[in-house]
Amino acid sequence: MFGYWDALYFIYVLIIGLVISYILMKWGEKASMGTRRVGDGTKVYLSGEDEDEVIPQFEHLRGYFTGRHVMWGLIRGINRMFITFRREHTGLLTDYVAYLLVTVAIILGVLIIWG
Amino acid sequence: MNALPFLIIIPLFGAFSMPIVKLIGEKLRDIWAVIISAATLGVAVDVFYTIWKTNQIVVYTLGATTPLGKGVGFPIRIVWEVDLLGALIAVTIAFVSLLAIVYSLEYMKHDTGLDKYYTLILILELGMLGIVITGDIFNFYVFLEIMSIASYALVAFRNDTWEGIEAGIKYMFVGSLASSFILLGIALLYGQYGTLTMAYLSQYITREPTLISKVALAFILGGLLFKSGAVPVHMWLADAHPAAPSSISAMLSGLVIKAGGVYAIARILFSIYSISLNIKAIGWIVIFFACLTLIVGNAMAVVQTDMKRLFAFSSVGQIGYILLGIGIGIAAYGTKVGDIALAGAIYHTVNHAIMKALLFLVAGAVLHEVGTKNLNELSGLAKRMPLTSFAFLVGAAAIIGLPPLNGFASKWLIYESSALYNPFLAAIAILGTAFCTAAYIRVLFTFFGKESEKVKAAKDPGKAMVIPMILLIIAIILMGLLPWQINDSIMLPTAKMLEESGKYVLAVLGG
Repeated sequence: MFGYWDALYFIYVLIIGLVISYILMKWGEKASMGTRRVGDGTKVYLSGEDEDEVIPQFEHLRGYFTGRHVMWGLIRGINRMFITFRREHTGLLTDYVAYLLVTVAIILGVLIIWG
Repeated sequence: MNALPFLIIIPLFGAFSMPIVKLIGEKLRDIWAVIISAATLGVAVDVFYTIWKTNQIVVYTLGATTPLGKGVGFPIRIVWEVDLLGALIAVTIAFVSLLAIVYSLEYMKHDTGLDKYYTLILILELGMLGIVITGDIFNFYVFLEIMSIASYALVAFRNDTWEGIEAGIKYMFVGSLASSFILLGIALLYGQYGTLTMAYLSQYITREPTLISKVALAFILGGLLFKSGAVPVHMWLADAHPAAPSSISAMLSGLVIKAGGVYAIARILFSIYSISLNIKAIGWIVIFFACLTLIVGNAMAVVQTDMKRLFAFSSVGQIGYILLGIGIGIAAYGTKVGDIALAGAIYHTVNHAIMKALLFLVAGAVLHEVGTKNLNELSGLAKRMPLTSFAFLVGAAAIIGLPPLNGFASKWLIYESSALYNPFLAAIAILGTAFCTAAYIRVLFTFFGKESEKVKAAKDPGKAMVIPMILLIIAIILMGLLPWQINDSIMLPTAKMLEESGKYVLAVLGG
């Protein structure tokens, strides 16, 4: 029973890895500002800032897009996540109570509906 | 003779005789604490060996030979009922407690009020032992409170710092709230079924699972998730565990969240509720919180600059793995995958107790010698404290799951079963490990980095602090060298015995 993962599981893991990478890429695109797919009338920014700060067909949003690369956006996204974590608060007792109540409510809800 | 009651009698006697022993001499007080915890370990090993050899559940009734009432067919007395899981956790508790007490001999040397400290530490130990041996749900609550109150006091033991006091008060307020949720659940069960004996409750709930029993389970599970430090009710842990003296942190992170948290969850779900409710739904509830816990806990560990806080968050992450194993064990109940997952969870519970105890003892040694636990100030410690750094290296490698150390085997079982059950869960588990690796590598770089001014005068601590660390290193390496043998001969039978709730019921009610 203790078999090491057979080849099938490596394929599983590979597929999951690919799916996760794809989701991360999509997230990176969203988190980065101004990166767009190549097509008619679009610009591709490989790195750095977009000097004129304009995306074709998005002129009304001038200045909002800085044209960062997908990878940079990804890094920024992760960085932002960790900054949020770093700002953890361990303060208010009312929060603890609220979290405990929410936990119990989730369990209770699931148990009543499916239990 | 049944040795089981001595598991409670010895630490109880030790705790309450401590103030008297202290009057004879301070040296004797220290020796007394070590003797008491060593004797408790001896009893725990004996109980475990008996159950393991005979593969029979041990039952002890308080004040009578049988739990059943005179002339009636149902139990009316408090029963202690120990299966392999209870006995295994009891051995772990007694082992780590003994090492924590030996470590305290030097670590707490400069503190005052040590008779209170040793009394509390023995009460903490007996509370945990009580939880793992009891077969009565109200008795379980009593021991849970004994354990909790001792840990509130120990977190705030060094009351000359604001950190300890704040963490202690916070821990006490919210811990009491979680306890009252558990009590409410127990009251609901008692009101509905009229019994507190776990085996008898199990029989009733299986026969007639009512809405009240579901509400009770929600309250109990919510409270126990809090006690085990699962996300989103984990915040108290990150305050309480670093604020306590390191020997206590080792017990809190290594034992308290196991006995009062994950062990209790497994016991309630398998032995009381067994298969009376929808096992898929219950399993997925646990899996949901497990995934949250192992991602958030490990990711939070990455951003910490306080070494003990990092370890505390890492404990949250590791609890996620244990919960994942338990969750899959329930959801895939009765299948091979379920067995592997449950065996992995039990294995990881024992392994994590040893690894995290070692890591907190390392943190204590560093704090003792350098006076800070801020990672930014500890650069280059490895040259000055080679033994301590080696202990950290072993502990960190084990907790990440590097072969051939003990963490590898248990994590492998959890990965394997989660991949077999649902590959997405395996991906989450591996992502958690990636964060875990990042967190520990940061500390490793700090230890082996360029020497800073602050660490120049540091040296390895004295024998009383080094010996417990060495013993834990040996345990980690030995358990790492024989992973599958340990799994096949101990963990799998333990998981199987836990799953057989019928056996648990029959041991008390006869049949």
